[in-house]
Amino acid sequence: MRVNHFLKEMKRYLRLFGVFAKFSLMSQLEYRANFVAGVAVELGWMLIKLIYVAVVYRAGVNIGILTPDHIMLFVGIYVMMTGFYMFYYPNFVSLSSLVREGGLDLHIVKPVSLQFLVTLRQLDFGMFLADFVAGVIMIVLGWQRAGLPVNFVSVVGFIFLIICANLLTYSMFLIPHLLCFWIVSTKGVADLTAALWDFNNMPQLIYGKWMQRIGTFILPVFVITNFPGLFVMGELSAGMMVWAVAAPVLFFFIARAVWKCAVRNYSSASS
Amino acid sequence: MEIIKVEHLKKEFTYYKKAGGLKGSFQNLFHREALVKEAVKDVSFSVEKGEIIGLLGPNGAGKTTTLKMLSGILYPTAGNVDIDGFVPWERKNEFKRRFSIVMGQKNQLWWDLPACDSFYLNKCIYDVDDMEYKKTVEELAELLDVKDLMNVQVRRLSLGERMKMEILAALIHKPEILFLDEPTIGLDIISQQKIRDFLHFYNEQKKTTIILTSHYMRDIEALCSRAVIINQGQLVYDGQLEDINHLMGDKKLLTIKCNANADPELLSAYGKVREIKGSEVVLEVSKGKLKETASGILANLPVEDFNVTEVPLEESIALIFQKEVAS
Repeated sequence: MRVNHFLKEMKRYLRLFGVFAKFSLMSQLEYRANFVAGVAVELGWMLIKLIYVAVVYRAGVNIGILTPDHIMLFVGIYVMMTGFYMFYYPNFVSLSSLVREGGLDLHIVKPVSLQFLVTLRQLDFGMFLADFVAGVIMIVLGWQRAGLPVNFVSVVGFIFLIICANLLTYSMFLIPHLLCFWIVSTKGVADLTAALWDFNNMPQLIYGKWMQRIGTFILPVFVITNFPGLFVMGELSAGMMVWAVAAPVLFFFIARAVWKCAVRNYSSASS
Repeated sequence: MEIIKVEHLKKEFTYYKKAGGLKGSFQNLFHREALVKEAVKDVSFSVEKGEIIGLLGPNGAGKTTTLKMLSGILYPTAGNVDIDGFVPWERKNEFKRRFSIVMGQKNQLWWDLPACDSFYLNKCIYDVDDMEYKKTVEELAELLDVKDLMNVQVRRLSLGERMKMEILAALIHKPEILFLDEPTIGLDIISQQKIRDFLHFYNEQKKTTIILTSHYMRDIEALCSRAVIINQGQLVYDGQLEDINHLMGDKKLLTIKCNANADPELLSAYGKVREIKGSEVVLEVSKGKLKETASGILANLPVEDFNVTEVPLEESIALIFQKEVAS
């Protein structure tokens, strides 16, 4: 009975997500120039990231066990993950205005999860598409050139870790934005999270031991883009495999708890 | 049958005082003096199923805050609310399916898409059956006279048209209870009238319980038989609309037009002179003495035209507010 209910709800939420995606795309296509500009900006950012890879190839440097081909794989994962993150990022940014201007009022009264409604409603296809396509190309190229195995375990494991990484990204990067319920304006906090995200520009191996530990266990940004790559290379230990699954679950529950607390603190706005 | 029961509802907000200017801003950065504002102090009332009540009060009286607590948007500081067996701020989905809230200054429609898309989203959110949904939208669009606007982007609609669409969107799931917070704000007289007519009809047909706040007395007079008046967070009146004048001393207004320029001195013997517009004088007299006064004036003065009206509701309500402030 419970399973049935769960599946029914799952179906309902997936359908709603589909409607959000459709409506977001329709809204964005209303403004053609803006849509194209959005894609162009994201392509520009991506080119900058590609320059790093180009430099690595030119110089022919290896970082620890990583050859330039491996680095391309890691940067590809980073670019693709950025695409996923940017897909729903506009919601995180608009959270503070929803709180400041009381726009949350009309979402609270809807019989669906408020967190779902508020954090996954507007989806940015322009940014997502540019990064996703480029990321996948770099991953495929890097994977192939580095001669990494293409078999069921590596591909399915990789996809599974990417899914975990998405849950972790969503949860970990949502938490700072939730501060807006208390401090209202979060521009500073948003900039800080963007800086944190960019730590993944390059594989974690370029950083010192302590940085790596902090980035893996305390603010696990490295788990997001490094673990899937390390797994394909056969360099991810069993313990780390467990952490790759545990960290997203842990952070999701933390985000959920902070969310509940934040919404309780919501004081709406005058109208 | 009572569907809404509000008992000793109270809401406090904490806010910070800030002195003007840059200096004040810097001081504010290091030290903030927290102040507490009691938006709603002690409000109790109940609403019968199918009833329309007007929630009245001046700006900042606590009307919207009360509605927000009734719809579960805000947690109260103290007090109880029971709506059909639910506590609003527990925010149960089952409860949310039973009501809708429309706020004149906020919108739920997707700005860049035609309103029909937002209706469809609400259909999915509220799990409304396909056939049922189609029927409801058609019926409401007909009643609100927006059939031809279904495929126009919301941003291209006029304020009045948009408000109609907001109301339509709020009714897709056929709520039993409807909270309307200034639904006619900023609209022209014709749009106001249309929305009023629609709400009146809808309430009669569906027996939807409605709580309405509005600054337009015409809305209230046309739709509500009962008013709950709050001022400075406190309930100051709960009763029939028609009894408000009674409460304020049962006054009537006599408008008299004389063929010669009327001497207000002469008329003041019959009652309180309120207004003189050329040869027209408005006189306030008590209801009990109306007959006597009128015949006296007609017998002794060169009256050309004569009219008896009620004291405008706005005035009585304003008087209630002032009385509360004075006491």
